Amino acid sequence: MPMDSKRLQQLLARYWSGDTTLEEEAELREHFQAGDFPDELKETAALFRYFNEGKKKSLSDISFEPAVIEKIHKPNKQGRLVALLYNASKIAAGLLVVIVATWFIRNEIRKSTPQEIVDTYDDPKLAFEETKKALMMISKSFGTAQAQAKKINMFNEAQEEIQRKSKDSL
Amino acid sequence: MNLESFQNRVLPVKNKLFRFALRFLGNEDEAKDIVQEVFVRVWNGREKMNEIQNWEAWCMRITKNLSLDRIRSITRRHTNPIEDGYAVTNDSMTPFESTEMRESMKRINQLIAALPDKQRQVIHLRDVEGYSYNEICDIMELDMNQVKVNLFRARNSVRDKMIKINAYGL
Repeated sequence: MPMDSKRLQQLLARYWSGDTTLEEEAELREHFQAGDFPDELKETAALFRYFNEGKKKSLSDISFEPAVIEKIHKPNKQGRLVALLYNASKIAAGLLVVIVATWFIRNEIRKSTPQEIVDTYDDPKLAFEETKKALMMISKSFGTAQAQAKKINMFNEAQEEIQRKSKDSL
Repeated sequence: MNLESFQNRVLPVKNKLFRFALRFLGNEDEAKDIVQEVFVRVWNGREKMNEIQNWEAWCMRITKNLSLDRIRSITRRHTNPIEDGYAVTNDSMTPFESTEMRESMKRINQLIAALPDKQRQVIHLRDVEGYSYNEICDIMELDMNQVKVNLFRARNSVRDKMIKINAYGL
């Protein structure tokens, strides 16, 4: 239905002030598309036609949808591979850090420890003497420990004596 | 969501997404590329689609964000108008009127392309695509007031420039 000029003016005024509804804007587009407008509204008509034509613009490439379908299938495989590589690289990086850290710590310990403790004696005789000395030291400690243990034994003997006596008195 | 409903429900919005991306990028190949990327993202996030109230607006929002990322990555602003103009065919017009209308629309295209980004996108979403204010808020991630202000400024800026061109015959 053609719009009368009064309504057209009113709608346009509301349109410029941003008060038109979607339906009214559609009405304006339709009106100007029909080509029934006064000369002074030529540019306004062009604007509404521009909007109308703008909506006709489409993605005309027929290979677009198949390409999308192919792409949404492909990334799964690719994604899995990428994820696998990503995880593997994370583990590899972690291991590398541990190995490098161990290497540095080992170097530091080697530097700080006196060499003579680490090294064995080159001279077999000296080594024998040192071993003998060490064994003697252990043996001496054992001897001391044995003497101490004898003292503890005294308590056992005393306990047995007490038990025997208490049995006798009963 | 399975592939079939993706093809039937989501892929048909490709033209809207394409037009919107084109507003940002002004280059059809890049816009097509963006739309493809949007669909891949939508497919990957398809579990979320049941929770989203308006998935079309969600797609449009992804288009906006990806387009902005693309603009940043290619470090150039939208300068090229979308196209030279539209082929206007209307039986009621004489060849002269048709040419005149085509010229007017070409000018309007340039005027809209020269608008600040937000104004250009808001006027496109409202006057070309016919989205409601709420949907535009959702797509643009702006509040209602900002949407209305941007639309008002966009429309009036285009109108003022059209009046100037007519007055001075520029």
